Amino acid sequence: MSNALEVTNLTASIDDLEILRGVDLTVPFGEVHAVMGPNGSGKSTLCHALMGKDDYTVAGSARVDGTEILDMSIDERARAGLFEAFQYPTEIAGVTLDELTAAMAEANPADNGFTTRQEQTSELLGMGRFRDRFVNVGLSGGEKKRSEMYLMGVANPKIAILDEIDSGLDIDAVKQVAGMVEAMRSPDLGVLVITHYSRILRYMSVDKVHVMVKGRIVKSGGPEIAEELEGGGYAALQKQVASSK
Amino acid sequence: MTSASLIGANDAEWMTRIRSAAADRLADTPMPSEREEIWRYLDLGFDPAFDTAPTEAGSAGGADVLLDAWCGAVVDVVDGFVIGDHATVATAAEGEQKDVGDDLFSVAFDALSPGALLVDGALLGQPVFVDVQSTSDATTFPGVHVDVPKGADASVVVRMRSLTDAPAVVVPRITADVGDNARLSLTVIQDWNYQTRALGRAVIDVGRDAGLVLSEVGLGARLGRLHLDVNYRGDGSWGKIYGAYFGEEDQTLDYRYFMNHIGTNTRSDMFLKGAVEDEATSVFTGMIRIEETGRRTEAFQTNRNLVLSDGASAQSVPNLEILNNDVQCGHGSSVGPLDEDQKYYLMSRGLSSDTADRLQVRGFFAEALAEIPQTELEPHLRERILSKFLTAQEEGRL
Repeated sequence: MSNALEVTNLTASIDDLEILRGVDLTVPFGEVHAVMGPNGSGKSTLCHALMGKDDYTVAGSARVDGTEILDMSIDERARAGLFEAFQYPTEIAGVTLDELTAAMAEANPADNGFTTRQEQTSELLGMGRFRDRFVNVGLSGGEKKRSEMYLMGVANPKIAILDEIDSGLDIDAVKQVAGMVEAMRSPDLGVLVITHYSRILRYMSVDKVHVMVKGRIVKSGGPEIAEELEGGGYAALQKQVASSK
Repeated sequence: MTSASLIGANDAEWMTRIRSAAADRLADTPMPSEREEIWRYLDLGFDPAFDTAPTEAGSAGGADVLLDAWCGAVVDVVDGFVIGDHATVATAAEGEQKDVGDDLFSVAFDALSPGALLVDGALLGQPVFVDVQSTSDATTFPGVHVDVPKGADASVVVRMRSLTDAPAVVVPRITADVGDNARLSLTVIQDWNYQTRALGRAVIDVGRDAGLVLSEVGLGARLGRLHLDVNYRGDGSWGKIYGAYFGEEDQTLDYRYFMNHIGTNTRSDMFLKGAVEDEATSVFTGMIRIEETGRRTEAFQTNRNLVLSDGASAQSVPNLEILNNDVQCGHGSSVGPLDEDQKYYLMSRGLSSDTADRLQVRGFFAEALAEIPQTELEPHLRERILSKFLTAQEEGRL
């Protein structure tokens, strides 16, 4: 059986600067994984390289439910089941959230469950008052993340990558976001939470934690890794990894 | 259409006097030069063919989607002549002449226009749609003067269109007086054919505590120019000026907007959004001029331009001239392609590149179009702009 996401020897660079140096990562369906790492370790690049942002030269392999996506355009990747929740969701003045989801529905004419799912997710996340507002315009940090989670529910992806979903949020908002991720857990979905801090992991159950340093996954294991990081920080871990080589 | 009677040229004594004085000057007035700042960036190498000015109107055109959507009065101005019922339509009177300047086209208007339509209290009980039409390649001088009485709330649309594909020169003039405590919502829709050169002039005086909401939608014309002066004469007067324009083929859309703050506590806000593709050019020069008397003026201008093809260009030039220190001013201007981050975001939601672009263009114009006070027109105008973009996409011009 295929996995939600299977990344093999993924490299990514901008100009001559190599940012990802061979990432291997597997997220099975039904699981929530976290990628943690210090600033500059390549966490956000991992998101964008998988989503297909133009700026990067990418090699290796990334499969969503068994389908190779690296040779696809951005929208094809999305339609293949990859969803990225943005760290800084882009504001689109003049386009309402409902107009955006209508365009998403049009892009997936074979998706019969779209409307039902949209209404359910809207209800679940209390999106009613945001849907006729312009996409991400004038929203607080927490509201923007809520809007991203709503679009995730509407898009119904196979693998969702949540890029720094907890950044810029106060503790109540972090709890809320974690709760939304928990609520969306499903046997048909893999989730990859990318985060700098272990804070959000206290409020959601994570099956596996991967630590990224300098463009590689240097350690993978259970949720206890997050607590280790909490104790010693990334420096201790980097030392530990270096001495074990 | 009911049987309409033609008013014909206004032959009042004062009008004849203005006409003959202007005719004397016309021969000595040269074509403007693009070396003059206010004509800069334009190609003025064409024959204005003033000798083709007609002595009577051609046949008025029929209804279209805008007129079908319209609830209010409609007055036709055809080839510069006011058509309509004598009881409600009169040509403008002497006191309503404004100083529009002495360039060639202004002088020619004074010499050759049959006289402006007067939109005043008698008509303004309901919203008024002035349907300005050109029926041939003749050079014509349509005029509209709006006189909003004190305390009144007026809604006027001036739509300008060609009934043929003929390459005409049109010199439209719109003037208005907004009386004390009155409000004028004026929407100008420029929809000439792509062969027509339109040298538009507008001068509007705003009285004490009076307000103007002026929206211009620039769709047509080979050269579509609007030189606008808004004079905030009355204390506490204000204006909101919106614009949405889309140029394609070899169109030039040219806006020279002057906000002249004369009274105290006046406010103006210009907000224009434009797009150009193919070989089109747009020009916006916005001048905020605050006189010594203009204490506590607040004035802002924003002009955003999308340049969608390599052959297209947009000029955006904000200017400030401030003769009083006790004021607040600001301006923003930008010229560039569609936003890459927005495109990435939309595509990451599964939208194709073309769909993402369309949504972005729609969003770009929505902010300006949403401000058009005559809301029944907005969907049709939005559709016209988007269909231009769609055609460009389908024909691979972007």
